[in-house]
Amino acid sequence: MNITASDAILLAHSTFGVLGTLSAVWVFVETLNAGERNAGRLRRAASVTALAMVAALILGGYWYLHFYPADKATILKGPWPWAHTVFMETKEHLFFITLILSFYFPIAARDKLRANAMARKMVLCVAMLIALSGLAIEGAGAIINHGAKVALLHANAEAAGGSR
Amino acid sequence: MSLDSPNTASEELASESGPKLGRASAAFALSAAVTILFNTALACVKDAYAPLTEFMNRLAGHNWTTQGLADVVLFFGLGLVLSKTNLAGRISPDRLILFLAVAVVVGGAGLFIWFALF
Repeated sequence: MNITASDAILLAHSTFGVLGTLSAVWVFVETLNAGERNAGRLRRAASVTALAMVAALILGGYWYLHFYPADKATILKGPWPWAHTVFMETKEHLFFITLILSFYFPIAARDKLRANAMARKMVLCVAMLIALSGLAIEGAGAIINHGAKVALLHANAEAAGGSR
Repeated sequence: MSLDSPNTASEELASESGPKLGRASAAFALSAAVTILFNTALACVKDAYAPLTEFMNRLAGHNWTTQGLADVVLFFGLGLVLSKTNLAGRISPDRLILFLAVAVVVGGAGLFIWFALF
């Protein structure tokens, strides 16, 4: 088994992204049942979301700056260049929106949600926005990954055709 | 003060017009919405104007890194400034929630449309 640093960092990046998205859903459910007993857990879950997204940012940012240029060149030569020009370009900037929402999440969760309907509404809204944007980013990641795959398959097919 | 009297930031701001967000929550919600719109605008402008991309590349080694740092500094800086004032507290919570949601939808869709069309 040959797992490179690039592979490990990329998989850790998407794992933390999924964990951040899932913990936003966790906060959503806790908020629907907000009370005295789950107030601390809810705030901790909101902080977990922020920490997971920061980890996803650091890992993804490092991978993007150090390893992605080679993948980008491959994708642009393949049949799905828009996997980079549309989806990667959107993803790398959309992530900042999710990140800002994740930074705001623990701040919004500090209000006394049990007693304040508006504070609950804000946390529910932010949780939903983090979860939906997180899913969109994961989907974009899958398209980018497939863009690289079809480019390599295309290059292999051409090489095989040329060698006949 | 009795033990059962409310004493949280959010409840202190509750008024006759209904429950309000805590001062920090309202301030940083407004800051988040502004930062999200700024992020999309900056992404489009730097994509269209190469000298800005080059300038941002020089600032932090890569334009993406510079953009991320600018977003974080704007979010926390503006949020702290707004926390000192009562500007965000004067906006109704419903409007703040709507503004934040619209900013995310417009910001996200704006990025996709920009990179798909240009």
